Amino acid sequence: MRNWFTALLGLLGLVMLLFLTMPLFKMLVGNDVATLVQTLGEADVSASVILTMKVSLFSTLFALATGLPLAYLIARHEFFGRSFVETLIDIPIMIPHTAAGIALLVAFGHGSLGGFFDALGIKFIGTEAGIMIAMMFLSATFLINGAKEGFKKVDIKLEKVARTLGASPLKVFFAISIPNAKKEIVNGCLMMWGRGLGEFGAVIILVYHPMTAPVLIYDRFTSFGLSYSAPVAAVMIILSIMVFLSVRFVNNRLR
Amino acid sequence: MSFLSLQALTCNVGAFHLQDISFDVGEGEYFVILGHSGAGKTLILESIAGLHKVGGKLSFNDEDITKKPPEHREVGFVYQDFALFPNLSVKENILFAGRYKMIDDAKALLEDLVQFLGLEKIIDRRVENLSGGEKQRVAIARAIYARPKILLLDEPLSAIDPTFRNAIMKFLKDIHRRYSLTTLHVTHNFREASYLADRIAIVMDGRVQQVGRTNEVLSHPASLKVAEFLGFKNILPTSLLGSDETKLFSIDPNDILVSKENNLACDFVYEGKLEECMGIVDHFKLFISVGEHQFFVKSLKREHESCVIDRGEKIVIGFWKKDVCFL
Repeated sequence: MRNWFTALLGLLGLVMLLFLTMPLFKMLVGNDVATLVQTLGEADVSASVILTMKVSLFSTLFALATGLPLAYLIARHEFFGRSFVETLIDIPIMIPHTAAGIALLVAFGHGSLGGFFDALGIKFIGTEAGIMIAMMFLSATFLINGAKEGFKKVDIKLEKVARTLGASPLKVFFAISIPNAKKEIVNGCLMMWGRGLGEFGAVIILVYHPMTAPVLIYDRFTSFGLSYSAPVAAVMIILSIMVFLSVRFVNNRLR
Repeated sequence: MSFLSLQALTCNVGAFHLQDISFDVGEGEYFVILGHSGAGKTLILESIAGLHKVGGKLSFNDEDITKKPPEHREVGFVYQDFALFPNLSVKENILFAGRYKMIDDAKALLEDLVQFLGLEKIIDRRVENLSGGEKQRVAIARAIYARPKILLLDEPLSAIDPTFRNAIMKFLKDIHRRYSLTTLHVTHNFREASYLADRIAIVMDGRVQQVGRTNEVLSHPASLKVAEFLGFKNILPTSLLGSDETKLFSIDPNDILVSKENNLACDFVYEGKLEECMGIVDHFKLFISVGEHQFFVKSLKREHESCVIDRGEKIVIGFWKKDVCFL
């Protein structure tokens, strides 16, 4: 009975696993190494890959600086409207990405908020800052929720003991809370960064040029077809997997 | 002048309230807070450590420390589950306080702690693989390394194998003396309290019920509630002793004599009926009704070979006035 049930689980699971891996596998074996190297050597491809990696990293770092305190507040403090705040954090991942792009355009493109940033010399349409807010809006949730779960797992007694041993709340945060939640924080960063790399719908509304890798893939596909866009997609997939696996490997080895 | 003084301390955490907590602890005293789980004992310790916002007044050496942050209070805290920092090694755990404050004779203190607490073999280990006893010694070393004036121990023996409890109790007393500490120790175990404490506070439902010297509290509970908590048996009205007052008294089941005949030369002698008799390892438990009241008597097997008489038959019991505890 048990073996039969386990076999059924395995079979159904295999269908899902194949579905998830086949397109990536096809992408990797469908392009020979020489084509991939040549593609990466093309100026617009390398520029867009570097831009995508860089801006996604910056948006992750910005979310780390502001999202980590928010995650800690939610994990550690009971306050009025806490579940409402948690819902607000979850909303961006529920809405269509193009709709999110439009919302960002309305909020930051024009009006008082746009004017405020304009006065500071920061523009969001057709700039890296625009790519950054698009990526951040749709992926910061992963970092905040990851960190929140990490902080919840840290026994509050560790923080209390650290206080009695002479550490101020700020020092406890850096010496005890963050190090003991670091696996979840790093995983949250990784999820956010990876999700940011692939952001297309919101980015394209705010910024077509300079082109991020997903925009470049789309641009090449609509202008020149599959054979011209597939190598770029393969390069992007390989690079993403490499970074993803190496960070996860390092994170798993962290004590 | 008291060393540590809690005056009408209050603290609210969720639905739980500490109310009007008042007691003094003298310098060098081993003070035990005794109470059931959920009575608020740990919350009292955390309030002393400054980990909760409290009402009332908390003073240390006549200085009002009610609003002083924990990092400036000079208290060491050892939790029931030890709360060692998993991201640090044993040595890093012990030295933690040194990152944030100057420790007098730090090197000598570390050497002494490592040697006295027998930490040589585990000093470079990770904390997650330590045994319960090892974790406890590391947690104590970490607390003492900060050179606290007061050591707060939260149920230190509950996570320890019962086989080692006696040794650990002795060890806790040794630490208390060696490092000239004032210790507050929270427990629900009377044995621990009677062995370790100079003085005891009994806490129930967020309130202090009684404070006093160990023998005094354990042998003379101030109320019915405390008597029941301390496991006092035979709590009966003083009218049975011929008093007009409507008070209660208690008599230890071991202090009651039993006989078939009416030949007991005690201060108080009663004729009753044996309701039940149970033979336990070395004694019999007798339940004897006297009028509307029931006495519980322990009769040692070396004194009586059987239940004295058969169930339902007449039996005589007696006890001395000196053994009566008035509540």
